[in-house]
Amino acid sequence: MTSMTKALSLLPFQSIFPQIISIRDVKGWNSKTLQSFRLDSRWLRRTRGDSRPLISVRASGDALDSSGDSERAGDGTPVEVEGNRLDLERKLGSFRELGNALPPAVLVIKRNSVSKFAIALYIAFAFLAIAARQIMLKKKNHHQGSVADLVRRGQLRSDRRGISKPMKYDDPFNNPFIKFGKGDSTIEMFGKVYRLASVTLTKEQQSVHQKRRSRAYQWKRPTIFLKEGDPIPPDVDPETVRWIPANHPFATTASDIDEDVAQHNVYQKHGVPFRVKAEHEALQRKLESLQSEQKLNEVALDLNNIRDFERPFKTSMKPQDPEPNSSANQQNGLLTLKSDEETGTSDGESFSGELKKY
Amino acid sequence: MASLSHALSSPQYILPPPALIRRQALAPRRHLRRRAPAAAISAAIQWNRKPQLAGETPRVVVVTSGKGGVGKTTTTANVGLSLARFGFAVVAVDADAGLRNLDLLLGLENRVNYTAVEVLNGDCRLDQALVRDRRCPSLELLCISKPRSKLPLGFGAKALTWVVDALRSRPSGPPHFVLIDCPAGIDAGFITAIAPANEAVLVTTPDITALRDADRVTGLLECDGIRDIKMIVNRVRTDLIRGEDMMSVLDVQEMLGLALLGVIPEDSEVIKSTNRGYPLVLNKPPTIAGLAFEQAAWRLVEQDTMTAVMVEEEPRKKGFFSFFGG
Repeated sequence: MTSMTKALSLLPFQSIFPQIISIRDVKGWNSKTLQSFRLDSRWLRRTRGDSRPLISVRASGDALDSSGDSERAGDGTPVEVEGNRLDLERKLGSFRELGNALPPAVLVIKRNSVSKFAIALYIAFAFLAIAARQIMLKKKNHHQGSVADLVRRGQLRSDRRGISKPMKYDDPFNNPFIKFGKGDSTIEMFGKVYRLASVTLTKEQQSVHQKRRSRAYQWKRPTIFLKEGDPIPPDVDPETVRWIPANHPFATTASDIDEDVAQHNVYQKHGVPFRVKAEHEALQRKLESLQSEQKLNEVALDLNNIRDFERPFKTSMKPQDPEPNSSANQQNGLLTLKSDEETGTSDGESFSGELKKY
Repeated sequence: MASLSHALSSPQYILPPPALIRRQALAPRRHLRRRAPAAAISAAIQWNRKPQLAGETPRVVVVTSGKGGVGKTTTTANVGLSLARFGFAVVAVDADAGLRNLDLLLGLENRVNYTAVEVLNGDCRLDQALVRDRRCPSLELLCISKPRSKLPLGFGAKALTWVVDALRSRPSGPPHFVLIDCPAGIDAGFITAIAPANEAVLVTTPDITALRDADRVTGLLECDGIRDIKMIVNRVRTDLIRGEDMMSVLDVQEMLGLALLGVIPEDSEVIKSTNRGYPLVLNKPPTIAGLAFEQAAWRLVEQDTMTAVMVEEEPRKKGFFSFFGG
């Protein structure tokens, strides 16, 4: 042990010996300061202030390489010391003195047995703390995926550990994420604690706001929508008219809906809807008219009559000769209501079921 | 505080000037700093009992805001489904003629074959146009029209009034609630949506643009005779409120002067539930926003309002043993 510490104490000086040392100091450099490069109390006292030297030891392989470097001098500028061999030996000799002056660390420890005991105690305590932390963390990780996690996530209540039936979230009157505080003034929700702040709005303030709004906003709900330029009907309050720009891309004020029929449709509770019934009746009338003209068996074999009932859904084929009085045109003539023709296909089963009754 | 109330009461200002609002909003609130007297938890959260239905049925409630994107449709879907889970019969009506979305949020977009326009045209009956939610059978959806079909502007209000009347007299009994999802703006869609309504739920976010629109819409609703207006403050971030970067719920209430039906915190689960077509209130495990919607639905049933709001407490400081993983 002692041999090793001695070797360590000598090692820096031996390894530096054949090399050039450059020391940077903000305050400058000379051989006197190099000689006073000792870790004694005077040096420490001197380096306490602003004048803390920045010391960098740079090693170069060949002394001749740095011979061409110009020596830079002056306050605050780094100075590279290049000296002849004598200077160098003198400087390194001072380093050796410094090394000899410093006692080995083991001797320092031996000098005071009380401090040694304290250091040992500190080291032991540090080892103990690290070990305790590792054990605690290991314990924490060990419980991942256990029932405790289910309790933490709200799947199980801590007081329901023995009950195997898991809690159902279907019950809106029982949420395990809500925990009430003891003082009835705090709630813990989803891991955060909330306190309650009373609402300060009073009835008087509410009425003040209502009065303010009634003064600020004078409005009547529009009951009639007119295009710009249309005349106002005589029995209509002008304030209830909403004017729509004539070139509005989406809005339409034109209404071809028979309001009585539409209202009847909305209130209809049973039976076949109006439009479906109308379509069915139109088809039935056409069939009856055909039956009156020809016999039923001929109708069944007549290709022209069959074509009347066909719907041109095969768009990829060539269009057949248009018939001026097709059944589809007749249906459109009968019905005045507009609707989206894409609808009404999915519930066709229920409609066809109801149509069978007729 | 006094200057703000003076500004609100003075006729020349519809809302206080924005600079004043911002200053007021960002200034430290004394009443938040001061510990309010401890309110009972029942003021904020109702629990462990079934809500008692108040008022005449069907209660026709329009969910509106004025500004778009504040969460009207989300509110309608979640409150509607919460009401259905409480055991009440609910008909949710999407009154947005051109841009309907309620069916998407409820995950019923593939089952909407008929709308109110088809009912008016006589293509189907009203009961055939109602889409029943299989998860909660007491919830039914009615869309007013398909995206591409045109409804004459002046006709929507009449049509929706007829629909509500027809629901009132249907053979299976009237629904307890008719929730109408109002489109943004105050144009024909708004007029259509508010026509049959008796009460309104105003959805707003704690920012000044939404508040201005909400104040105007409240004024229009009051002009139309709807006096029962309650407010849901959506997308509240308690951490921003604590850092004075967002108006608190009490600030919003002070500016609008409306009773609070609910406070919905910002929750990333909202967008996930929208993507899934699975409303928040059905999430397992429950989410904090879903819970807040549930509580809002509870108060809607009982015609109750919040008397206390929740303020986030400072997070607990970690103790000495936190170093050991505790």
